[in-house]
Amino acid sequence: MNVETFKYDNRVVRAFGIATVIWGIVGMLAGLLAAVQLFFPDANLNLQFITFGRIRPLHTNAVIFAFVGNGMFMGIYYSLQRLCKARMFSDFLSWFNFWGWQLIIVAAAITLPLGFTSSKEYAELEWPIDIAIAVVWVAFSVNLFGTIVKRREKHMYVAIWFYIATAITIAVLHITNSMEMPAGWLKSYSMYAGVQDALVQWWYGHNAVAFFLTTPYLGLMYYFLPKAANRPVFSYRLSIIHFWALVFLYIWAGPHHLLYSSLPDWAQSLGMVFSLMLIAPSWGGMLNGLLTLRGAWDKVRQDPVLKFMVVAITAYGMSTLEGPLLSIKTVNSLSHYTDWTVAHVHVGALGWNGLLTFAMLYYLFPRLYRTTLWSTKLANYHFWISLLGMMFYCIPIYVAGVTEGLMWKQFTASGFLQYPNFLETIVQVVPMFKLRAVGGTLYIVGTFLMAYNLYKTAKAGQFEPETEAQAAPMERSPETGAGWHRILEGKPLFFTVLSAVAILIGGLVEIIPMYLIKQNVPTISSVKPYSPLEVLGRDLYIREGCLGCHSQMIRPFRSETERYGEYSKAGEFVYDHPFLWGSERKGPDLAREGGKYPDAWHFRHMDNPADTSPGSIMPRYSWMLTQKMDKESLTARLNALRKVGVPYPAGYENGPAQKDLTAQAEKIVASLKTGAVTTDPDKEIVALIAYLQRLGTDIKAAPATATTTTN
Amino acid sequence: MLSNLVHFLLREGATINAYGLFSFLLFFGFFTGVLIWAFRLKPNHLNHMGALPLDGGEKHSTDKIQS
Repeated sequence: MNVETFKYDNRVVRAFGIATVIWGIVGMLAGLLAAVQLFFPDANLNLQFITFGRIRPLHTNAVIFAFVGNGMFMGIYYSLQRLCKARMFSDFLSWFNFWGWQLIIVAAAITLPLGFTSSKEYAELEWPIDIAIAVVWVAFSVNLFGTIVKRREKHMYVAIWFYIATAITIAVLHITNSMEMPAGWLKSYSMYAGVQDALVQWWYGHNAVAFFLTTPYLGLMYYFLPKAANRPVFSYRLSIIHFWALVFLYIWAGPHHLLYSSLPDWAQSLGMVFSLMLIAPSWGGMLNGLLTLRGAWDKVRQDPVLKFMVVAITAYGMSTLEGPLLSIKTVNSLSHYTDWTVAHVHVGALGWNGLLTFAMLYYLFPRLYRTTLWSTKLANYHFWISLLGMMFYCIPIYVAGVTEGLMWKQFTASGFLQYPNFLETIVQVVPMFKLRAVGGTLYIVGTFLMAYNLYKTAKAGQFEPETEAQAAPMERSPETGAGWHRILEGKPLFFTVLSAVAILIGGLVEIIPMYLIKQNVPTISSVKPYSPLEVLGRDLYIREGCLGCHSQMIRPFRSETERYGEYSKAGEFVYDHPFLWGSERKGPDLAREGGKYPDAWHFRHMDNPADTSPGSIMPRYSWMLTQKMDKESLTARLNALRKVGVPYPAGYENGPAQKDLTAQAEKIVASLKTGAVTTDPDKEIVALIAYLQRLGTDIKAAPATATTTTN
Repeated sequence: MLSNLVHFLLREGATINAYGLFSFLLFFGFFTGVLIWAFRLKPNHLNHMGALPLDGGEKHSTDKIQS
């Protein structure tokens, strides 16, 4: 038989491995800094660049795209070559993928602390970086498909299916959700508004979890677990069902992030039902993973790689059971906006992604350096410290979440809110925030131990840049021929089309009706576009990441309408590019903040929240009192907003807008004076106050006007 | 009991959202197709597929390296 000799590229695998460790530590430290600020707000050192609202997106982006992203590429570049029995399609594309991805991460690490953000969760990066992500992702996909096409192994193992689904879906999600109109080099407005923006964002947000944190890692599980245990997967048949059911169902589940919001009820119900159905494939996958170890549990006691894998897969099972349960509307009514969600995602992030990444690193480094792990004992310590860290992180935050939810909903016997002051409910859980930081610290200590262990392993061995391999070329069936014909008619293409159809159906069924059927977003005639000063204020709200702690979506519960006012209507957000509903409440909802307090209260509150709200954990925003607002960019901003559909009159931005801005600013300055506060009309705080005082007031202006239909 | 169920469906059917019904039928059909496909696969093929990760084609196997 004709056998070909070729070489696997280990260099790029090592590069991604090192990047995984470095960015993992950076991302976790950013998380710790954010966590500490929740009980010690001064930990921001009064620096705007490291304040919670800006550091939280840095943490989430770093952990998702830098730590898990690099870990994913590391695992895919290693396993794909061996499963295809072929070197990567192009070394150039491999390195383009590597350096491009690192540059994107560096760009994120610079722009997010500077306040350049689109505000859409896990998609915060501004448009030039979005374009760079698309380009690098295309390079990765071409390299992936190129390698699959030139493979020597005829059959594509299930791990490769998961990689293909990841490549296609992330491209679709990223491009659709990043449709935005530039208003400068690092500023843009979402093409979508309000409810539609929310649906697209959470269709993206949920599936970023699904197709960036889950499907590639499932592929990696299906490769590395059998390798580490040295036995085939428990049921290949089950893995087929797992794959197809998962990719088909996942894409529908996004609306479960918007339950009881202004999203039409039919979309909420679809999100809930499909989320519940997800338990079946997810648990199928978990059981398939755990049962692969049947008869090999003695190995689990010895081998740290398997230990990490077992707990990772268990955490996958736990979080994929909990996720659907949280999607049940009644459960969600308690859990949404609380720390319960934060605990849930950290079971996934610390447990599933973190521990599986550690397992891969412990598996790969000795092999790349052709030696044994420097210290198995240290790896075992890492395992236990990580596990303790997870427990200390998650348990207090679960307690905090449930406490918050119950306190927000608690009424007295006479029918009043038991805790009408929101602050009471947060002060109650501050001890839990402290415990959480202890858990996070433990987890990071473990990661440092791993980094040291891997470094010593590398020092003890000798790096093998390429691994020589042999395999027979792939047999070609007579009808397929060679070259392009084979590519077009070969299974990878057919498979890719099938996967694309499976993932697109859910998105199309949910998103298209939202645009085509007008009754989904009933209009309210008194809702008007923001004034120029309010636009600048809103952009400052976005810059500071206020939505990391304050929602703008009052759900139709008595506990919410009593506390915040009338529940939010879809028609109120038609000019919100982007929507700012938020997903967490570390502070009260602001949807009806307008007119609640005098201007001077806001001024003092932003200068030092503890002055107006003793015990508040909100950081100071004193820089907004001294920094001047960016009036020069107003023209570009209004112009961009008009292009996405906000009906400013033609030419408004070229003169009248500045005039209106000055008039409104002077009015606020005069109002501040009555509250014994003196400031200039060109300070950022004036714009922010203008925006906050506008929030939720439109529907009060004309109570009789309203809408044509209900959902 | 069955006739009660049928009557219930006929009576309430119109109130079930078309999107929900369409989505459910779509998934049901898809999932049934996948099940049929998966269960018609031959054991030999499944064994071959399951064993794929274990043979990476390396000239010097790395499987003996302890982590």
